Amino acid sequence: MARINVNTLRKEFGEGSDAVVAVEDVDFQIEDGEFLVLVGPSGCGKTTTLRCIAGLEDVTSGTLKFGDTDVTDLRARERDVAMVFQNYALYPHMDVRSNIGFGLKLSTKLTSAEIDRRVEETAAMLGISDLLGDKPKELSGGQQQRVALGRAIVREPEVFLMDEPLSNLDAKLRAQMRTELQELQHELGVTTVYVTHDQTEAMAMGDRIAVMNDGRLQQVGRPEEVYRSPTNEFVANFIGSPSINLFTAEVNGDTLVGPGGFSYTLENPSYVEGYDRIRAGIRPEDMRLVSEGGNNVDVTVVEPMGNENFLYLTMGDIDMTARVDSSMRPQAGETVQFAFDEDALYLFDAESGDAIKTKTDDVDVGVKEIQS
Amino acid sequence: MATHDSNRETSPTVTDTLRYWRQSLSKALPSTSSGRVAYVFLAPFFVLFGLFLAFPIVFTLYLSFFKFNGVTQETVFWLDLGFHVIELNEMQLAFVGFENYTRLLSDAMFHQAMFNTVFILLLQVPLMVGIALLLAVALDASFVRFKGLFRTMLALPVSANLVAYSTVFLLLMQETGLVNFVLTTLGFQPIPWLSSDFWSRMTIVGAVTWRWTGYNMIILLAGLQNVPQQLYEAAEIDGANRIEKFRYVTIPQLRPVLLFVFVTSTIGTFKLFAEPIIINGGGAPLESTITIVQYIYMTAFIDFNLGYASALTYVLIAVVSVLSIVQIRLGGENDA
Amino acid sequence: MREADRREGVWKFLTYTFILVMIVLTIVPLYWIVIASTLPEEAFLTAGTAPQLFPGGEFWANFSALQDRLNIGFLMFDELLGTDFGFLGAIANSVFIAVVYTLLSLVICSMAGFAFAKYEFRFKEPIFYTILATLVLPIQLLVIPLFLLMSQLGMTNTYWAIILPWAANPLGIFLMRQNMKSLPDALLESARMDGATEFQLYYRIALPTMKSSLAALSIILFLFQWNLFLFPLVILEGDKYTIPVAINQLVGAQRVYYDQIMVAATLSIIPIFLLFLFLQKQFVSGILAGSVKE
Repeated sequence: MARINVNTLRKEFGEGSDAVVAVEDVDFQIEDGEFLVLVGPSGCGKTTTLRCIAGLEDVTSGTLKFGDTDVTDLRARERDVAMVFQNYALYPHMDVRSNIGFGLKLSTKLTSAEIDRRVEETAAMLGISDLLGDKPKELSGGQQQRVALGRAIVREPEVFLMDEPLSNLDAKLRAQMRTELQELQHELGVTTVYVTHDQTEAMAMGDRIAVMNDGRLQQVGRPEEVYRSPTNEFVANFIGSPSINLFTAEVNGDTLVGPGGFSYTLENPSYVEGYDRIRAGIRPEDMRLVSEGGNNVDVTVVEPMGNENFLYLTMGDIDMTARVDSSMRPQAGETVQFAFDEDALYLFDAESGDAIKTKTDDVDVGVKEIQS
Repeated sequence: MATHDSNRETSPTVTDTLRYWRQSLSKALPSTSSGRVAYVFLAPFFVLFGLFLAFPIVFTLYLSFFKFNGVTQETVFWLDLGFHVIELNEMQLAFVGFENYTRLLSDAMFHQAMFNTVFILLLQVPLMVGIALLLAVALDASFVRFKGLFRTMLALPVSANLVAYSTVFLLLMQETGLVNFVLTTLGFQPIPWLSSDFWSRMTIVGAVTWRWTGYNMIILLAGLQNVPQQLYEAAEIDGANRIEKFRYVTIPQLRPVLLFVFVTSTIGTFKLFAEPIIINGGGAPLESTITIVQYIYMTAFIDFNLGYASALTYVLIAVVSVLSIVQIRLGGENDA
Repeated sequence: MREADRREGVWKFLTYTFILVMIVLTIVPLYWIVIASTLPEEAFLTAGTAPQLFPGGEFWANFSALQDRLNIGFLMFDELLGTDFGFLGAIANSVFIAVVYTLLSLVICSMAGFAFAKYEFRFKEPIFYTILATLVLPIQLLVIPLFLLMSQLGMTNTYWAIILPWAANPLGIFLMRQNMKSLPDALLESARMDGATEFQLYYRIALPTMKSSLAALSIILFLFQWNLFLFPLVILEGDKYTIPVAINQLVGAQRVYYDQIMVAATLSIIPIFLLFLFLQKQFVSGILAGSVKE
């Protein structure tokens, strides 16, 4: 078991002037037994970071530590890590038993009887004991997924690495495996790094989430922390579904003036002191429809979800979304008014995107606390 | 997770011991970065490729500018490998410039060999590709049963050794052989298959066609099976009959495969050697069936004129390479 | 409708007739050599004699005449046993050489193909395209420099002289590289994480997953070596003859020993026929693999 320390990691592909920087200045620490999810849009460097931790890519600069051991220059097979690949990467010519036992056979001094026993234990834990004699191509997607997991678990590694392991499953199985995977990880208590592009999966699974963009780490924190107190506009926009409503507003004293006649007077104007323009954000679930005293928006589409309604709105040239109670049922084409609590308002620097104000209704996870 | 180490109750078997030994061996090997591993994988290939392909290609060209006067007793290099002694002797070479190439122009035997090869090729390739195509289309027809069996029987000659099957034709085509027996029984005159200029070439055409038709049929059949069925259905709805479907669907769809078959067969015929040498040996007049490769063989290893033979080889290599490149061009065009 | 049915019937009849005629033309020569090998020479070479449909009883007489005519050894066994093996020696030589060549070439081509498909190294592209360029050359024709090279190396009349020159087969490396490219990188990385060395990646992961392409390639290689004639004719002497050279020996300028040739042809064709019947799928995929466009 190990705590993982990633220190100023940098990875370039290619050489000289053709070099492309894939990961830059990434710094984080994963506690022993923690489940960390690396999340970001495709091409953000999350998989490259994972592969550097795995030892499948040489780092350009920076160091990696497992516990007190510097593993930066160690090869994958010397790091005691196990990885689950997106397409499972099961050896097609071996049956399930050999697939799971292959690592033990190659790199441990266990006897074959012991290897067999451990393979069987692992298979029993994953409920695939019946499949030990089958070849991968005879298995369903979910079963292949379990074999891939078994192959990682059986090695009892210091670190689990998972590269989008659920993305090839259908929606229902994915939800089921998500829970199973979490339970398994808690049971085994192995430090786990999990890569996904799906923020819902990240929120649901991670003890902590690391959000990446453009090869840089944006924020690391507990799921509700990144959701409520994103460090910048990118994180605010990436985390949450449907995404946050964002628009540019002029600062007029203590009043924000936005598109489509938007106007809001801040109760606490100290946040916007010294700003002429600002980016404002309101989560769809914080949008309230009011009969008067709010800002006008036009309803374009109403999507009834049963327990709630999604409203697609336009405010000037800005598209917005609102999640409202299913009893609220405006007609498409109608103009309605919305309001929000100032506690729920996000404000970002219009140039740098850095957060100025995030959710303040719950003192427990305020932005101040994280920044200190 | 050291829980299992405490209850290690089983003892290692022989295969386990072997495994541990292999593990420690692989750990003891110097760890190479992946770029360098590639060179280890490539090394045997490069050694053999360099020595037996790259060097001969260059050396043939070199030799074609010399007259070869044999090997002297003079040792220029000597290496004792323990199990084998390598001793390189000096070769006597006289530089002649382009003389070997200019000699080609007026060499009647070379012209005869070229004529024979092209003659055989012009008759044999269209005949064989035509039959192979018809067979492939027939076997592809939906109503034909026993396809697998028919295909196997037609492809059987693929497994016949080139020299062995040539002797079969030598026997079949004797004045008193099976073919003439059938002809006379049917009331025809016997044909001098092996003694007349024209007929001895026809014997070679027949032999080569017999050997390679099944081979080309397999390639064409695979090509036919890749033609989308909807094209035929669309043509049918448009009112095309069998011949029109063949003309407007099969042939255009099969064009790249047909070109491939044509060009490889042409190249194959340029390399013809076993068939004419057997049929010559069995009595056909040499000059009527001599092919380029046979002429190269005789020049090099009977007359021992290696320089001139090298020039002949290069002319042949040039012809075959150009044909190959044409094939890649034509084939590739359709893929793009 | 009845007119259409009738025309359909005629078409079917013509198609079957064509196929069957072609099958007869294909099979008769093969059948005839088997029959001829069991007959005295006069029975199939005398004018006007009706061909026999069934085997005669002269096979062993022809066979022993053939065995007496040729003095061919195999490896060191002829010296060990103090006797030659006649034409059977040629079969043994041909099989041995083709098998060793096929195995050696498979190893060399698959290793090189693996390197070209799965590693990055300097000058990879130019090297590969150079090899690709030699694909258009008729490599069997490089006999003159190979003959000089072999005589200089003191390797004339050795098995190695006809095994080594084409072991680095350009078509083989090209096919292996194409097939190895389809091997998912994740599979290799997964094995690396499981503790495999680079060489183990090659022989425990790449080779076993490439079984069908290896089978197709081995057919191509085997037939290439099996049919080699020109170079063995130049480089081998009587005691190491392969089948093609041995049969050629029977086609003399003065006299052609047809009865013996037919025995030799029968004996040489039978093993490959059996192989063909059992490994038909591999033969077909081998032929098709050899016909891939670059």
